[in-house]
Amino acid sequence: MVNINFKELNIESVSKSFPGVQALDNVSMKISAGKVHALMGENGAGKSTLIKILAGAYSKDTGNILFDQNKLNIRNPNDSLNYGIKVVYQEISLISEFSVAENIFLDNFPTNSLGVMNWNKLYKDTEELFNRVGFNLNPKSKISDLSISQQQMVEIARAVFKNASVVIMDEPTSSLTPNEIEKLFTVIKNLKQNNIAILYVTHKIDEIFKIADEVTVLRDGQHISNKLISETNEELIIKDMVGRTVNATFERPKDILSAKTVMKVEKISSKNKIKNVSFDLHEGEILGFFGLMGAGRTELAKAVFGYDKITEGQIEVNNNIYKSFNTSTMVNNGIGYITEDRKGEGIVKDMNLRENMSLPSLKIFEDLFIINRKREKKAADEYIKKFSVKTPSSERLITLLSGGNQQKVLVSRWLIRELKIIILDEPTRGVDIGAKTEVLSLINDLAKQGLSVLLMTSEMNDLLSLSDRILVMADGKISKEFYRGKVTQEEIFKASVN
Amino acid sequence: MKIVSWFLAAIITLSLAMSISANPKRIGYIVNYGTHEWYQNVIFGLQSRADELGIDLEVMDANLDINKQTQQAEDFMTKGVDVLIMTPVNEEGVVPILRKAKAEGMPTVLEGNPAKGMTTLFAICDYDAGYKAGDAVGRILVSRGESQARVMDVGLPLLSATLLRSLGFMEALAQHVDAVKVHELDGSGMIDSSVEVASAALAADSNINVIYGINDGSALGGLQAWRAAGLPEDDLVVAGTGSEGLAFLNEMTKEGTPYLVEAAMFPEGVGYTGMNLAVDLFNGVDVPEHKVTPTLALTVHNFAKYYDFDKAGQKRAINFENVAKIPTETKCTKYSSDL
Amino acid sequence: MKYFQTNESILFGLLVLLCIFLSFYNPQFYSIQNIHSILRSSSTVMIVAFGMTILLTSGEVDLSVGALMSFVTVIVMDVINITGSISLGLIAVFGFCLFIGLINGLVRTVLNVNSLIATLAMMLILQGSVYVYSMAAIYNTHLIPLFSFIGQGFFLNIPMPVVIMLFILPFFVVLLNYTRYGRYFSSIGSNPDAAKLSGINNNRYKVIGFVITSLLVGVSGVILASLMDTGQQGSAKGFELIVIAAVLLGGTSFMGGKGTIIGTILGILILKIIDNGIILMRIPQEFQLIVPGFILILAVYFDGVRKKNSG
Repeated sequence: MVNINFKELNIESVSKSFPGVQALDNVSMKISAGKVHALMGENGAGKSTLIKILAGAYSKDTGNILFDQNKLNIRNPNDSLNYGIKVVYQEISLISEFSVAENIFLDNFPTNSLGVMNWNKLYKDTEELFNRVGFNLNPKSKISDLSISQQQMVEIARAVFKNASVVIMDEPTSSLTPNEIEKLFTVIKNLKQNNIAILYVTHKIDEIFKIADEVTVLRDGQHISNKLISETNEELIIKDMVGRTVNATFERPKDILSAKTVMKVEKISSKNKIKNVSFDLHEGEILGFFGLMGAGRTELAKAVFGYDKITEGQIEVNNNIYKSFNTSTMVNNGIGYITEDRKGEGIVKDMNLRENMSLPSLKIFEDLFIINRKREKKAADEYIKKFSVKTPSSERLITLLSGGNQQKVLVSRWLIRELKIIILDEPTRGVDIGAKTEVLSLINDLAKQGLSVLLMTSEMNDLLSLSDRILVMADGKISKEFYRGKVTQEEIFKASVN
Repeated sequence: MKIVSWFLAAIITLSLAMSISANPKRIGYIVNYGTHEWYQNVIFGLQSRADELGIDLEVMDANLDINKQTQQAEDFMTKGVDVLIMTPVNEEGVVPILRKAKAEGMPTVLEGNPAKGMTTLFAICDYDAGYKAGDAVGRILVSRGESQARVMDVGLPLLSATLLRSLGFMEALAQHVDAVKVHELDGSGMIDSSVEVASAALAADSNINVIYGINDGSALGGLQAWRAAGLPEDDLVVAGTGSEGLAFLNEMTKEGTPYLVEAAMFPEGVGYTGMNLAVDLFNGVDVPEHKVTPTLALTVHNFAKYYDFDKAGQKRAINFENVAKIPTETKCTKYSSDL
Repeated sequence: MKYFQTNESILFGLLVLLCIFLSFYNPQFYSIQNIHSILRSSSTVMIVAFGMTILLTSGEVDLSVGALMSFVTVIVMDVINITGSISLGLIAVFGFCLFIGLINGLVRTVLNVNSLIATLAMMLILQGSVYVYSMAAIYNTHLIPLFSFIGQGFFLNIPMPVVIMLFILPFFVVLLNYTRYGRYFSSIGSNPDAAKLSGINNNRYKVIGFVITSLLVGVSGVILASLMDTGQQGSAKGFELIVIAAVLLGGTSFMGGKGTIIGTILGILILKIIDNGIILMRIPQEFQLIVPGFILILAVYFDGVRKKNSG
């Protein structure tokens, strides 16, 4: 075991790059023992990369991590745990049928000399641990009977029970009620008193003023600012976070909002987060939806498309009003959907390129009941050419294509049919920077030909460069509406964190 | 004085009458597989005799589950029936039940299969039943002027009881003609499997003039395979075994059918005999270890003596009186230990 | 070309080898009688297997086919006995099968019960309720020659069950390979989310798959009843396993997404010829279960190996 008496965890000039992306660029920061250090930044700022490097899940390209002056050698998650660096992730990873105590000591059950579980010691140790960190939980309770905040406490207790030196919390409050958040803060204060260094990663600005001692802002993988909490305020932090320049803006028609309405969404709610959402979409309009992780963008897209059932409200398309509908209703109304999860929800792995491309549009290739494979192939070849998909033929199994080429097939899937509206969920995620502009310009061109676009994104750049209108989402609701050219990044961000 | 002697005479007569009719009041029967036609008819026989004697019969179905059978036996013992009749799910499995019954002084009768520690058993003789059918078929062949029997045996080679039937059949046949077993098949005792295996066997060699089935489904399956292969039925003789239900009666009464012989085992008669045995045991009468129940080769000429068959209503009624007149063996000619 | 992909070629090769081997052993193998026997007993399996291929392709399975088939033999025999009309018997059978298929499909899609469990439950329900319908087997008392013809007759010297199977076959080859429904079934089985996000109503097609399978069981059940000349409870025991084994052997994936009718047909022929060979060679009949068991494991294993190499 490493000596974990230290004053500061020093992160010195750490860099990490992935193909096409510089995820971290010479980032330095110091996290003091007994302090809460907030780490902030937009999606893609580099927060998760930094957490994963500290946790040993990624290796850094250059730079050093030290306890005071002692270099740490983190090669894998185990090393990291041995240094006492513990991460509490957003998702609860407890065994729900086990008791609190069993979960905490999962990999280290107290046993007697015969290897038989010592239940008394297990419960006593758990109780002692809880006293130390100030928890009030019965060690014998079953996890599935606990509230989410209580489960999170168990996660934290599990993280700190063995020599924690640094505790990293990744968006710990995203699923907590205000009351539960207060309880969590009490726990964090207790951890501070135990001289543990805490890295608190969040996008909720108001929280850091309650709990953090210091705040560091990252943007596009770079260190932007580091301030004591007493020396900063909300405005300054947002400015640091979003102050990025928009790479490209596109020329958009000015009078788009006076075009006819093609879709009218009225007060829809779903079991999946969406609450009372209404909006109109005009012909040829690009309507951007911005929201942070968990704001409900994907859920809204899926509810509108009929993937998730709506529990309230209605949608009007093509003069038809739908209260209950499925994806096939929406596809028949000329609506398409491109998922953010290409592998999971996009490609059909047992099918070839042609079959993947024609899947929603098979009806148009039918002669009587039989698919006319010649026409189908011709259409596929046309789009292979149009998007220069790299493939020897349209008969190639889709899984043998690269990710980017698969994405092109998925876009073509909708373009070979008559389309009025397309729903795009994070169209530039995982696309390298060069291709990003290409994707955005394609969207712009399609909209100019009269296609209406629902653009769900967490990328400020995509949003500002394309959207005619911007709807900001938070917690499943629409919190604010903005118009093209009459909004700043700060305003959008502020609306998204409320 | 006269009155007293009258009185005495009356009491003696009454007590005598009572001792004669001192029947058990309640009898329990645990069947091993109650949904099967055979056992349906065994139960019918038990019930018929019980009704005649004014006995209350209660039936439980173990459904081929020995644990269930054990539980049901205990239930009967707790309830306190006068005699317990069982068809063992398996011979080893009932041994503990028999031991417990003995300890509690519960008279127990087994049906079908013997088990260690049993008092008495009522069952058919499989070998002899098969033998009687073979004998009848042999006579038919001889009357037709045939000198050879080429047999397709639609059997169940995993069970000793059905092996004994096939053996008896072949040995009796050999008394009359030159008997050759061309096919020995496993039809699982089911009509559909029998059709399938018999089809394949007939394709390999259809030079057959006798089909023997170890039960009605097997015989019928063999015959149906013959028909599906489009083979001529003129020189064929089919014999089934069991008289389990309506199958053989329906087929046998068809115009021109080759299904001429049934090794009848009279399941109703089995039940009837079993009930008598149970009453005897209860009354302390000396009972044999194995009470053989009647079997007989039935043909279209003699079946009406034993079964009143209502073809339209798909019902059969047994004539217990005539069945009881069938001479039965005191001991089987061959047992599974002879195999 | 597509319909003799590698998998089918391998199966076809295996089939040819089997035939050569058996004909060396017993020349009777090529007798017209034996071929009739093999084809006749294959065709009831094939008819149901067409539906099972569709179900497995869409990622579902139906374990209730054997129990339903046995129930069908009882219903068809009873209704024709009572009414004296084959048409009414068929209407009763297909009405009943439609109902059972719908229930299977709705339990799967509306109640969201895994089809392995849903249809296992249906199997138990049918196995029990057939005895509620009738304790005793139902024998042919109507004696209508046309009914016996269905299972036992010949048309142009081809057994009727085979004729019926050949009549149904093209419909399913076309359905699975040349229509959009075939694509729908395989996309639903391969990636249900992607299918749904392409505007396909997954649940509708799953219900259709279950209904088609049950109706085909109706066809096979009527043939079986005619062949047995009896409505027999407890017949077609283990039928579902033979069907599923044959479909898997044919190259249809248990995980869905990939199905082939031609492969299914080859799979059934292989299993049935092994059955037949065991009787021809007078090998103990227990091997009728043992040999296909091993073949199935090998087939699925090689399928996995091939997939890994190509993926």
